[in-house]
Amino acid sequence: MKIGIPKGLLNYKYMPFFQGFFYELGAELIVSEDTNKHILNEGVKYCVDEACVPMKIFHGHVASIKDSCDMMVIPRIIQLKEREFICPKFCGLPEMIQNSIPNMPEITSTPIYATSKNKLFSWALQEGKKVIKDTGKINSAFDEALRIQKHHHNGIKNKGYKLNIALAGHPYNIDDHFINMNLISKLNALDIGIITEECISEDLINSETSNLFKRPFWTFARNSYGFTCHLALNKKVDGIIYVSSFACGIDSIVIDLIKHRIGDFPFLILKLDEHTGEAGLETRIEAFVDMLERRY
Amino acid sequence: MKITFPHLGNAYLGVKALFDGLGIDYVIPPFSNKTALEIGSLHSPEDMCLPFKINLGNYIQSIEKGADTVIITGSCGPCRFGEYCELQMNILRSLGYEVDFIVIDAPKEIGINTLLQRIGKVGSSSTKNRYGKLKAVRDGLKVIHMIDAFEAKVRDLSGYEINKGECKNLLNSCKKDLLKCSAPSEMIELIKRNEQKLLQIAIDKHSTPLKIAIIGEIYTIIEPFSNLYIEDKLMDFGVSTSRKLTPSWWIKDMVLKPLGLNSMDIKRASKDYLSINIGGHCRECVAEAVLAEEAGYDGAIQIFPLGCMPEIVAKAILPTISKEKDIPIMSLVVDEMTGEAGFVTRLEAFIDLLERRRQNVLSRN
Repeated sequence: MKIGIPKGLLNYKYMPFFQGFFYELGAELIVSEDTNKHILNEGVKYCVDEACVPMKIFHGHVASIKDSCDMMVIPRIIQLKEREFICPKFCGLPEMIQNSIPNMPEITSTPIYATSKNKLFSWALQEGKKVIKDTGKINSAFDEALRIQKHHHNGIKNKGYKLNIALAGHPYNIDDHFINMNLISKLNALDIGIITEECISEDLINSETSNLFKRPFWTFARNSYGFTCHLALNKKVDGIIYVSSFACGIDSIVIDLIKHRIGDFPFLILKLDEHTGEAGLETRIEAFVDMLERRY
Repeated sequence: MKITFPHLGNAYLGVKALFDGLGIDYVIPPFSNKTALEIGSLHSPEDMCLPFKINLGNYIQSIEKGADTVIITGSCGPCRFGEYCELQMNILRSLGYEVDFIVIDAPKEIGINTLLQRIGKVGSSSTKNRYGKLKAVRDGLKVIHMIDAFEAKVRDLSGYEINKGECKNLLNSCKKDLLKCSAPSEMIELIKRNEQKLLQIAIDKHSTPLKIAIIGEIYTIIEPFSNLYIEDKLMDFGVSTSRKLTPSWWIKDMVLKPLGLNSMDIKRASKDYLSINIGGHCRECVAEAVLAEEAGYDGAIQIFPLGCMPEIVAKAILPTISKEKDIPIMSLVVDEMTGEAGFVTRLEAFIDLLERRRQNVLSRN
């Protein structure tokens, strides 16, 4: 059986788990290419117009491999932590794909509640059975996949640069070098070091969010808010760059919460969509870096 | 303490009955208007959805009229409505308004004690005894139920009326008179009288008006200003409309939710297209499209604010429903830039399309 795994969205973060799981089950894996112009165009063609650009890119990845696989991993990630959600679009992702892209192969639409090992296993059992009947094998594949995911480290923490910035934003905007136009290497070339949210401890993030009036109910929001505010208020970085996509509902809230909290700390927001031009992006980064250097 | 609240369709009438009954001082914000939207857009984050901006405009206009406490409901995701309170508090504070926020949230999230304490804050300024308070709550609920039901009846009947505009005038005068009432019992009586008047409106039982269901994001379909008074416009065109989501529906849904008994029809109708609840009112939107077809409606119009996350999912699903069930569905996106002329053109084109689908093009006369 050929299992397709599109890159994009949280598959950037959890690719090792999905790959490991289906590989252990004996399936052949088909992973889509890195995002490119063609994939973006396909995504824009199929996806609902109002969706954000990461969603469109995901549609493009799906469309690029849909004819070469028997089943596609479309994770319907609902919760990663107790009492927290991802984004409504993630919960309805299988429906969006199925209704927007014609001739889809079978997809994995079981909801993923990754709040505990047992709950995650119920996803694995349900989807694993479509590949193989042997429950024992699913069990061992699941354990192996979890082990691989645990040893896989996301996140970037540069050392030895003159200035350092916190690079915040959803993982799929930061890890997709096509849509953010190699932002990370551009910053490194300007002698700017980067730290991302995966590289600070959960406790520091939580202690920062605990002083909000309302506990944030999005995992993304909690991470971005806690991460940026902690680093900014403790002066651990020289500035913050927030990579956001146009019309992102979560960012519209988080960015404003951060602004209120950090005051006049240097904060650059880069909004991405399918029309973002590279020259404009570069100019904004350079101007921001110039400003940081003068403050230094 | 002078309480205010954001507008949501007829909700202000229910709230008026409640606070009149409790004897609490309150300010009904001026009906959502261009100025409110301008104030709201000016101070809101750019990417924020339309309801937030109008809400903020409502608050600021009420604060100028003397309000010092804002009461709103909360939710805990995944739609961004749940985060409104935090951001609105920040914004009002940074604008220099000293207001208190009372957020009525689900007891599951904030704990039953915090909830009771917050409700107690409102109740403590009432001079009524426990029985009087309960009666006020009951009257408030009754008013909102009655006016929502009355409005639904009027909007349905307007397609059948012989003298154009009678239904609309009745509804408008009823709402205007309700605002002048000073006691909940008066309001209830007034709605009853208007129900009688509605029965006397001359209708043509043999006419077959177009029937359109209004579906989509709850705020933008209930609050008439945000959808450029689409229901009134359709009434002028002689179209019967129906809308399932109302403030009274919302209250019922909230109360029954913990028991799992809420909106059984919606769960059934959405089963084939969206099996789980993904937040906001996406599932309701999908189900209402299916229900509209089952009830023999000619078409459905989906309305949502730009960037609304749950409705984007619904918009992806609706074309499939439209195709499989053979019912035309139009999606309209509203934000502070929506122009009226373009909006009306699309509406007219949609009505033309629905008429032509019927065998007799002139069925509407």
